[in-house]
Amino acid sequence: MSRLNATDLQGFVLRGYNMPYARYCFLHFEDSQRACTLIHRLLPIITTGQRWDQGKPQSTVNIAFTHQGLISLELPIATLISFPVEFQQGMLERGGILGDTGVNSVEHWDPVWRDGQVHAWLGIHAQSPEALDARATEMQALMTETGGARLLDSQDAAAIVMDGKVTLKEHFGYTDGFGNPDYLGVCRSTHPGQGKLMPDGTWAPLATGELLLGYADEAGELPVAPVPHILASNGTFMVYRKLHQNVGTFRHFLDKWSARYGAGDALAREKLASKFIGRWRDGTPVELSPDLPDPGIAQNPNRSTDFTYGNDAAGTRCPIGAHIRRVHPRDAFGFEGRLINRRRITRRGLPYGPFALEEDASTEHDPAELDATDRGVIFMALNASISRQFEFVQQQWISYGNDAHLGNEKDLLMGSHGEGEKYVIQGDTNPANPPFVCTSLPNFVELRGGEYFFLPSITALGMIAMGLVDPR
Amino acid sequence: MANQSGSVYGLTLLSPILDDERAVPSHDLQIRKYLATLPTGADSPFAIAPGTHLARLVVMDDVIYVGMPACEEHLKSKYLVFESNCDGDLDTYLTGLATKVPQHLDAIWSHCTGYPGASDVPAFLRYMKACQIDTTFFFAAVNDKSVTDTLVALQTQRAVADFIATHQGMDTAQTQREFIEFLKILKAAPPPAPGVMGPHRDIKTGGRNE
Repeated sequence: MSRLNATDLQGFVLRGYNMPYARYCFLHFEDSQRACTLIHRLLPIITTGQRWDQGKPQSTVNIAFTHQGLISLELPIATLISFPVEFQQGMLERGGILGDTGVNSVEHWDPVWRDGQVHAWLGIHAQSPEALDARATEMQALMTETGGARLLDSQDAAAIVMDGKVTLKEHFGYTDGFGNPDYLGVCRSTHPGQGKLMPDGTWAPLATGELLLGYADEAGELPVAPVPHILASNGTFMVYRKLHQNVGTFRHFLDKWSARYGAGDALAREKLASKFIGRWRDGTPVELSPDLPDPGIAQNPNRSTDFTYGNDAAGTRCPIGAHIRRVHPRDAFGFEGRLINRRRITRRGLPYGPFALEEDASTEHDPAELDATDRGVIFMALNASISRQFEFVQQQWISYGNDAHLGNEKDLLMGSHGEGEKYVIQGDTNPANPPFVCTSLPNFVELRGGEYFFLPSITALGMIAMGLVDPR
Repeated sequence: MANQSGSVYGLTLLSPILDDERAVPSHDLQIRKYLATLPTGADSPFAIAPGTHLARLVVMDDVIYVGMPACEEHLKSKYLVFESNCDGDLDTYLTGLATKVPQHLDAIWSHCTGYPGASDVPAFLRYMKACQIDTTFFFAAVNDKSVTDTLVALQTQRAVADFIATHQGMDTAQTQREFIEFLKILKAAPPPAPGVMGPHRDIKTGGRNE
């Protein structure tokens, strides 16, 4: 395929901006005409996929719509009903499939997500709090001036700063954000381990249609997309989930079980933490370095995602149920990894809420108090098909274990656990790497709301703004 | 041999459904109605009769014309399709069905041409075999163990996993004593009943995603 037209793509689709501050604004359209005026005014401001050869901007702006939002923008009915069913239904309606029950059910969500009032997501990323505020003020002024949208709520997120340095950490202390897939035609620096595994052991970009509408996917098919083609083309779907993290519960669980794991010392505690995720907390893959974290691997992008599980079928290095092995099994299911190429997602996201230093935590803070603090991660996934990609991963690989021969077992940290569930860590005869079973699994993560969004191309935004969407 | 994969037999039957204008509702609809209310759990006929790993009953009305450029074709009859991955040899399996759940078989197959009834077992076997076609694909999740062996293995797996979880880190002599006791109880336990699924899963799966 030819190179993608980066000027027609929203930049957020092509790259994680790697900016430490973000505000996600949730808009409600009061009047379709005025909303279209607002979108029209936003058009020249929206950050595209153009390269930043002139230097990185201070802030970025992107926009995406819910199905309710597109209805209120009065898109033609023939277009509205041509969207994939899961997008039309929205995340709340899909709760049964996603396992959003119990503590993850709608009663526990932030009010803004409970009644389908959110019509659009306006995502602002910035290099500084000042730039963030300035951009948000500008956006609010535009909304007020045009009368195009009402701000229902907003969500601030920010990278965790430790020792004055911006980090890629999340609240459980793991380094996050490794290994987003590469796609054909998307120009960025690529590293081994991204994209799809080839028979000769090298890695190649995934088909563009796994990320963008209007292009062939890994099956050689066009993803299910709305009509007309030009409305869909160069767009994608975004899953937004606010995931609260029970930091006290996590640390208490880690303390409790690591006391009985291996030597029961500080290294055993870190090793156990690494067995939950499949990476040491500095990001070193346990598959590559099972005994110790290795900054030489973690900080080298040519090594940090370049591994497979073929020689670790028993899971003695990386447990079969470890998070990164579940959600990206690489070659673990055989067939040279081909079974997973249509189940990949691109992740964006940032933590929200204050970070609690671990050293303080075990001694000074009550776990319940740590849990109660509003903090977690804003998880955003981009994919061409929410049902085939995100929902499949959530349903089959997070909330179930059959594909990995783990029966009903769920992902330890992400799963919504019931009574009698276990997390099994495979081991060997090395006393520092024993087989180990954790029981009485609490819920480490709780859903606080979210929605499915359509993230259109610049062309499509223009068509929406000018009322030119014609499904014929 | 196409119908046999290790110890598992793959049975595929196509039984022509009676075409009788006087029947109200028609025979195919009567089969559909009966199948729609057939129990799927422990009361399923395939749980009551021995040896079924997975069974499926389908009413096939016709081949569907999908429009040009396909040519329009039709079946000579409507068919009841019965597919089963089962244990052992075919005669034993079919005899098990005929003797354990004859009322279900009769209620379903009495709407099919030439069905002799399940009470005459030799005639029933001849009829079913006359309807048989070769199986070329098996249900992938069926392994080479019998239904009972599979159920016992699952029971053992759960029990051993629970034992490990409650005994890891325990003094070895005590673990051994308790393991010997545990084994005694486990070996004496009856095999679990077929058709009873594992723990309830609080998530929708299957064909509900689209």
